[in-house]
Amino acid sequence: MSLISLALYIFEALAGAAALGILLVRNVFHAALLLIVCLISLAGVFVIYNAEFIAVTQILVYAGGVLVLIVFGIMLSSRIAGKPLVVTNQYVLPASLAGILSAGILIKLFSEQPFAQQPGALPGNPMNQTGIALMRDYVLPFEIAGILLLIALIGAAVTASSFYSKKQ
Amino acid sequence: MEHTLILSSILFAAGLMTVIVKRNAIMVLIGIELMLNAANLNLVFFNRNNPALSGHFFALFVIVVAVCEAAVGLAIVLRVYKYYQTSIPDQLTELKD
Amino acid sequence: MTNLTPSEILLALVLILPLVSAGVSFIIPERYSWATSLTAPLLLLVTAILSFVLFFTSEDLQVSAVWFSIGATEIPFSLLLDAASRLMIVVVSTVSFLVHLYSMGYMGYDQKITRYFGMLGLFTFSMLGIVLANQLILTFVFWELMGFSSYMLIGHWMEKPAAARAAQKAFLFNRIGDAFMLIGILITWIQQTSGNDPFWQTTGVICIFLGVVGKSAQLPLSFWLPDAMEGPTPVSALLHAATMVAAGVFLLIRINPLLTEPALTVIAITGIATALFGAVCALNQFDIKKILAYSTVSQLGLMITAIGLGAKDAALLHLFTHAFFKAGLFLAAGSIIHALSHQPNNTLDVQDIRNLGGLRKKLPVTFMVFCVTGASLAGVPLLSGFLSKDSILTAAWNLSHPTTQFLFTALILIVSFLTVLYTFRMIRFVFLGNESQATLHESPWVMRIPMILCAVASSWLLVSLNPLHISGWFIHSFPGAEASAIASIISAVTVLIALIAAVLLYSKQTSPKTIVMLQNGFGVDSFYQRTIGSAVLYFASAAEATDKKVLDGFLHFIVYAHVSIAHGIAWFDQYIIDGVVDTSARLVKWAGSFTRSFQGGKIQLYIFWAVAGLIIFLFFVLI
Repeated sequence: MSLISLALYIFEALAGAAALGILLVRNVFHAALLLIVCLISLAGVFVIYNAEFIAVTQILVYAGGVLVLIVFGIMLSSRIAGKPLVVTNQYVLPASLAGILSAGILIKLFSEQPFAQQPGALPGNPMNQTGIALMRDYVLPFEIAGILLLIALIGAAVTASSFYSKKQ
Repeated sequence: MEHTLILSSILFAAGLMTVIVKRNAIMVLIGIELMLNAANLNLVFFNRNNPALSGHFFALFVIVVAVCEAAVGLAIVLRVYKYYQTSIPDQLTELKD
Repeated sequence: MTNLTPSEILLALVLILPLVSAGVSFIIPERYSWATSLTAPLLLLVTAILSFVLFFTSEDLQVSAVWFSIGATEIPFSLLLDAASRLMIVVVSTVSFLVHLYSMGYMGYDQKITRYFGMLGLFTFSMLGIVLANQLILTFVFWELMGFSSYMLIGHWMEKPAAARAAQKAFLFNRIGDAFMLIGILITWIQQTSGNDPFWQTTGVICIFLGVVGKSAQLPLSFWLPDAMEGPTPVSALLHAATMVAAGVFLLIRINPLLTEPALTVIAITGIATALFGAVCALNQFDIKKILAYSTVSQLGLMITAIGLGAKDAALLHLFTHAFFKAGLFLAAGSIIHALSHQPNNTLDVQDIRNLGGLRKKLPVTFMVFCVTGASLAGVPLLSGFLSKDSILTAAWNLSHPTTQFLFTALILIVSFLTVLYTFRMIRFVFLGNESQATLHESPWVMRIPMILCAVASSWLLVSLNPLHISGWFIHSFPGAEASAIASIISAVTVLIALIAAVLLYSKQTSPKTIVMLQNGFGVDSFYQRTIGSAVLYFASAAEATDKKVLDGFLHFIVYAHVSIAHGIAWFDQYIIDGVVDTSARLVKWAGSFTRSFQGGKIQLYIFWAVAGLIIFLFFVLI
C-alpha cells in the first residue's frame, strides 16, 4: 500500500464519516461544520484522482462560498439568538429504507461493471491543459456559467432583500 | 469493486436521507450538496485517466450550478422564514389546496 | 238516391216526421213546454195525412241502400211498402195522432210534457220503422228503440214506485225476449246464407217468436202488460192498440214465409193458451185498465193463433180492427179516470170498478164510445170486431185435421164467449147500476174527438161494405182473409148466448166478484217472483260473495304480489343499483382523497415518493 493509497483511504473514510455525521447530528451548525469536513476530504480525493483544478474550485467555492452562505442562513433563521438550532427527524423509517435501497442498488450496479483501473498520472501538466481546454473547447459553457452565477447572485440578493418585500 | 464508488453511493444515500428526514430547510440544502458531491466524485473518478478532461469540466459546471442553487435556495429560505416565521418545509403547505 | 219518386219522398217523410216531433219536443225549452202540445200533434197530423195519401196512391215500393258492410257482407238499409205495411202505417200514424190529440187534454198540466211528447214521437217513429223495415237487423234496431221508449213512457210518472217497477218489469221481460230474438235473427241469417237445415230453421224462427212473445205479451212473458197500466192512459192506448204489442204480431206476419210446420204449431198453441188465459184473467179484475190489459193479452193471443193456423191475413185484419176499438176503449177509460180524478175530495181509487157505477148519465159520450168499442171487442155483428173474429174462426174451421179443427174452433168460441162476459161485466159495473159520484163533467173536446173517431172506426164500414161478411172495399188489403157463412152464424150465436148469459149473471149482482188467484193472473206472476226472482237474488248474493271472496281475494293477492314485488324492486334499486352507483362514487372519492393525500404540500414527502418510484423503476429495469 503506497502513501497515496493510504491518503486516499483516509480522505474517503473522513468524507464518509462526515456524511454520516451530517445525517445523525441534531445541531444544524454542527452539520454545516461536518459538511466542510466532508467537502475538504473530497477535495483531497479529487487531487489524488488528478483533478487538482476541481479540488481547488471545491475548496474555494464550497468551503469559501457555500458554507459561508449556509452559516449566514443558520444565523438568520434561528429565532432566538444564542440558542443552537436543533432539528428533529421525520419519516425515519421510509427515508432509511429509501436510502439503504438506493445505496444498495448503486453499489450492486457499480460492482457489476469492470472499473478496475489503477489511478495513474496523466501526460503533461493537468492544470495547464485544463486552462487551455477551458478557454478553448469549453469557452461557451464557461461564459454561460458566468452569466448563470451573475443571475443567481442578483436573484439571491433581490429575493433576500427586505427592501423588495417592503415595497410590496 | 472500487471503494470510491462505495463512498459515492454512501454519500448519495446520506444526502438523500438528509433531504427527507431533516425538518429544516438548511439541512435539506446540505443534503442536496452532499448528493451533488457524490455525483462530482463519480465524475472525477471515472475521468481520472482521461486526457480529454470532459469529466472534470462536467464536475466544474456542477459545482457552479450547486453554488447558484445554494445562493438562491438560501435566499428563499430566508425569505420564507421572514414571511412564515418557520424554516420547516413541511409546514409550508400553502399550495395544498 | 238523387231521383226520388214522390212516393219515396212521402215514405221518408212519414218515417222521419215523428222523429222530428221527438227532436222538436226535446229542443223546446222548459218555459215554453206548452208549445210541444201543439207541435207534436200537428206533426203527427201531417204524418197521418201523408200516410193516408201513401195508402191511396202508392204502389208497392222498396227502397234499399247499403247501410254498412262487414268484410264482403253488405247489410242493406231496406224499407218495404207493401199491402200490409201500407195498412199498418195508416193505423200507426192515425192512432198515434189520435193519442197525441187526446194527450193534449189528458196530459195538459203534466210537468214533464216535453219528455212525454218526445218519447211518444220516438215510440211512433220506432213502430213505423218496424213496420217499414224489410230487413231483420234493421227491424231489431227499431225493436230495441221501441223497448227503450216504452220503458220511458211506462215509467213516465217515475216518482211513483209502482210505475218505476212496472217500467223495469216491462223492460226486463222484453229483454228476455229480445235476447232470444237476436239469437234467432243470427240463426236465420246464417241459414239464409249457408245451408238450409230444417231443424235450425225451426230453431231460429222459434227464437224470433220468443222475442215476439216478449213484445206481444204472450205466455209465459205476458205479465208486464197489466203492470204497464201504471203509465199514462194515452200511452196504454197507443201501446195496446197500434204499437208495441202489435209489433210482435206484425213481425210474425212479415216473417211468415220463414215459418216452418213445427214452429207454426208452437205459435198456435201459445196463442190459444194466451187467449184463454187473458180472457179468464180479465174476467176477474177490478181495475178497469187491467181488465183492458188482459183483454189485450187475450186478443193478441187470438192473432197469434191465427198466424199459427196459417191465416196471416186474418191476423192482420184483427190487428187492424183491434187497434181502433182497443184505442177507443182505453181512451174512454182514460176519460173516466180524467173526469173522476179532477173531482175535488176524491180519495177513492178511480180505476177500481167497485168504486164506479152509474156513469151513464154523467158521461154520455164516454158511455156511447165505450159501448160501441166494447161491443166491437165482444164481436157483436155490424161492428169491425165481428168481422175480424169471424175470419180467425174461419181459419180454425177450415183446418183439415178434424181433431184440431174441433179443438181450435171450440177454444176460439170459448174465448169469444168469455170476451163478451168480461166486456159486459165492465160496462155493467162502470156505467150502469147505482150512481156513486155526485157531479162530473165530460172530458174536453180535444179528448172527446179522438174517442168518437175511434168509435166510428170500430164500425164495419172501415173493413167491409157488407156488415156481415168481408167483401168490401178494403178487401184487397186482406186477400187471404175469408169468412165462411157457417162460422159467421156460429160466432153470432155464441155472442148472443154470451150476452144473455152475461145479463143473467151480472144484472143481479150489486158488486163485482172475483177469484183471488185469477185476479193475480193464475199466480204465475208471484210464482215468477218467488222462483225466478228469489233464484236471481240468491245467485246475485252468491255472485256477490264470490266476487268479494274469490275475485277480490284474487285481486288482493295480485295487489299484494305487486306491492311485494315493488318493495323488492325498491330494495334492489336502493341497495343494488344505488349501491353500485354509490360504491363507484365512493371508490372515486376514496381514490381522489387517497391521491390527494399525496398532495399534502409536504415537499420532503414528495421527494420520498419520487425516490421510491425511482427505486422501484430501477429495481425492475436494471436488476
